[in-house]
Amino acid sequence: MPDGASAGLRPDLPHPVRAGEDLLFLDAISKEFPGVRALQGVSFDLRRGEVHAVCGENGAGKSTLMKIVSGVFAPTAGRIVYKGVERRFSSPLDAEALGIAIIHQELNLVPHLSVAENIYLAREPRRGFLVDRKALRTNAAACLARLGVAIDPDRPVRGLSVAQCQMVEIAKALSLNAEVLIMDEPTSSLTEQETRRLFKVIHDLKAAGVGIVYISHRLDEMAEIVDRVTVLRDGHHVATTDFAATTVDEIVARMVGRSLEEKFPERTSRPAGDCLLKVEGLARSGVFADVGFELRRGEILGFAGLMGSGRTEVARAIFGADPRDAGTVTLEGRRLDIRSPRDAIAAGLAYLSEDRKAQGLAIKMPVDANMTLANMEAVSNRFGLIDFAREAEVARRYVDLLNIRTPTIHQPVRLLSGGNQQKIIIGKWLFRKSRVLFFDEPTRGIDVGAKFAIYRIMDELAAEGIGVVLISSELPEILGMTDRVCVFHQGRIAGILETARTDQEEIMRYASGYGPAHSRH
Amino acid sequence: MTMTDPPARPPAEPAIAPRRGLTDRQKDILQKFAALGSLLVLILVFSLTSGAFFTVSNGMTIALQVTSIALLGIGATCVIITGGIDLSVGSVLALSGVVAALGVKELGMPVPVGMALGILTGAACGLLNGLVVTVMRLPPFIATLGMMLIARGVALQITGARAVSGLGESFGELGNGALFRMVTIGDDGFPNVAFPGIPYPVILMAAIALAVSLMLNRSVLGRHIYAVGSNVEAARLSGVNVRRVVCFTYVLSGTLAGLTGCVLMSRLVTAQPNEGVMYELDAIASAVIGGTSLIGGVGTISGTAIGAFVIGILRNGLNMNGVSAFTQQIIIGLVILLTVWIDQLRNRR
Ligand SMILES: Nc1ncnc2c1ncn2[C@@H]1O[C@H](COP(=O)(O)OP(=O)(O)OP(=O)(O)O)[C@@H](O)[C@H]1O
Ligand SMILES: [Mg+2]
Repeated sequence: MPDGASAGLRPDLPHPVRAGEDLLFLDAISKEFPGVRALQGVSFDLRRGEVHAVCGENGAGKSTLMKIVSGVFAPTAGRIVYKGVERRFSSPLDAEALGIAIIHQELNLVPHLSVAENIYLAREPRRGFLVDRKALRTNAAACLARLGVAIDPDRPVRGLSVAQCQMVEIAKALSLNAEVLIMDEPTSSLTEQETRRLFKVIHDLKAAGVGIVYISHRLDEMAEIVDRVTVLRDGHHVATTDFAATTVDEIVARMVGRSLEEKFPERTSRPAGDCLLKVEGLARSGVFADVGFELRRGEILGFAGLMGSGRTEVARAIFGADPRDAGTVTLEGRRLDIRSPRDAIAAGLAYLSEDRKAQGLAIKMPVDANMTLANMEAVSNRFGLIDFAREAEVARRYVDLLNIRTPTIHQPVRLLSGGNQQKIIIGKWLFRKSRVLFFDEPTRGIDVGAKFAIYRIMDELAAEGIGVVLISSELPEILGMTDRVCVFHQGRIAGILETARTDQEEIMRYASGYGPAHSRH
Repeated sequence: MTMTDPPARPPAEPAIAPRRGLTDRQKDILQKFAALGSLLVLILVFSLTSGAFFTVSNGMTIALQVTSIALLGIGATCVIITGGIDLSVGSVLALSGVVAALGVKELGMPVPVGMALGILTGAACGLLNGLVVTVMRLPPFIATLGMMLIARGVALQITGARAVSGLGESFGELGNGALFRMVTIGDDGFPNVAFPGIPYPVILMAAIALAVSLMLNRSVLGRHIYAVGSNVEAARLSGVNVRRVVCFTYVLSGTLAGLTGCVLMSRLVTAQPNEGVMYELDAIASAVIGGTSLIGGVGTISGTAIGAFVIGILRNGLNMNGVSAFTQQIIIGLVILLTVWIDQLRNRR
């Protein structure tokens, strides 16, 4: 298994590889939450040295199943057999101690601790009573190096991007040297490059006999690593098969119960000529510089780039969420003076944030309250009293439109599945009718069927003359939906390309800083 | 190709008994009933142990004692929902009370004007707290700790640390008056109190509890208060004016402290600069017993009202039973630990 540097905490590993042996077996697992039957009699098995993918729509029960395996929830019924012994975990620590590690779908880092401290949280290397800071640093650096990420282990997690946090979470799970490694949407905000590195590590782990459960809505990337796939639908087990014996289309059909022909809707809208939003000379020292672009009425403009290239930061600065040092923003010929998100919203801008848990949702509040939070004026009278009937109607409308799975509109959003939480943020900003919408990774963690619905909504928005900026790490999404693409490289726009006349390679070239010089067209 | 079910396994005993959970709403209602239930148990126990406990006049005494805790608790609840804390209310109520009294005595203001000045003083202290928290970005604990010392110091300074008395009968009206007081003249010509009436402070408390509860549950402002406590960043990015919302809660807390100060001083018809020491802790305790979460985002006025009654009744009942003040503190401390612990147990898993 791993090379000596990053290992070291569990001397009893690595185990001799016995490929194909059953490592974990789940027998007829059921789980009920109040008002929700999340799982019903689901069986699942994992062998040593395999990558077993779990697919299903948002709310199908994937995360719940894995939380049961990792001791977060106790099953309502069913057995967990791990290495031939029936187990009941009373806490995640129980499972961890036996060698089951999980990368949760939601980020769980402590913001004010450093990257290294987060990776070794509660397992700090010690010298006597004291934390061995040097070992902490070097071990953490080794974990990160294995993933090929350039993050200073001493940096506090607070300032990291979502993608960087995701890499830290992965590094943390790897440092456990587990025998079962569960990855719940590890790549949801990673770009191509980081995903590649992760896959390389997964290959190494496989060779060392680790059993890996891999959950993702990015089905196309699975072919490279996945050995078997299990499909869940509405909490039921639908099928388990060798990945080689099936196709992505077939998996999708199993997931949604019908076949999906297209991944992207036909673009009905065409950008009109006139400029809607114009950004010039936008800069923030040390983050981005000299950013300028125009967004036309009815246009979908993509923001592409590698991790940390400044796409999110630029959008946040335009929206007034972060400060900026220079630059002007003009909407419909009127120069805007935006100092806070409130100003931006009042001017007709919307920014759908990338990190739903930290920035997008009031997770203790119910579905309806989250849905209307950005547009309370529309559901209250002039005395500032909320019209609950109207609010419920709005919430139901968007729950239906986006097919959000929730027992009632009064359910606290923290109890919804990750993808359904994401849909609530989308609903919130759709209800706030804006003139320019920034979608930052809008389909993060969203299933294929729902993605299509969201793309269609984007197209409809554009057809109404709204300007849409789509920030995405998924190049197919950028290529499938946008009219033009701004490619970011190290805080600057390296090029603005016509989507119809570009391809993945060209975008990647600009994103890595080579630009047109290496172009052979 | 075919997709097959996983290989069949030897049948197993049904391993873990089914367990049913409750929805958050049911939990919430259950919690209210549990609190209300323990309140009733308290009343029952005290009624049995002390003959004078379950009487109309003691009921009034309790209601009056509870008003100050509840008024402060209502303010504390709003502040705590946003994720803050207000440690200054005990001192602010003393400052407000002496300002009102000095206004009447030294400046010759009419009583209502003097009291309005006192309440305004409380509001101003609250505003300062709010600004220190939102503009200077100090942690609420520190900001209000500072105000706690400052307000107490000013109260002692302007009174020379002496009680302000000789305020005249009308100063006592707010704290001692009652609505619907029924007095009959008996056969012997002496007045008989048929019904002691509902004391003004109790009416005030009920009206304010209703109004704040309405604000929290039904108004946009209330929604924003919960949103800020649940996730400040999400609230900010949704266009909530976080500063204004947070400031508002401190102003509300300060204003209610000012009002409480006037009521308390009016009851005694004397303004004591040393009044209200440690009242902030009762206020916070009533909110916490009522289910308000110190992390923010969760809390109700009805819960806080129940919490205030629990503390008030415990104090009164223990007094009636001759339990010493020291023992009372120990018991109330234990009650706080117990309720919060039960609350956490219920919310686990
Ligand atoms: N703690 C909980 N309380 C109540 N319901 C829950 C809880 N956790 C999950 N659920 C519900 O169980 C169902 C399955 O959720 P789960 O998170 O497993 O979905 P998922 O397959 O991981 O979806 P996604 O692709 O969106 O991540 C959902 O309907 C969800 O609302
Ligand atoms: Mg999930």
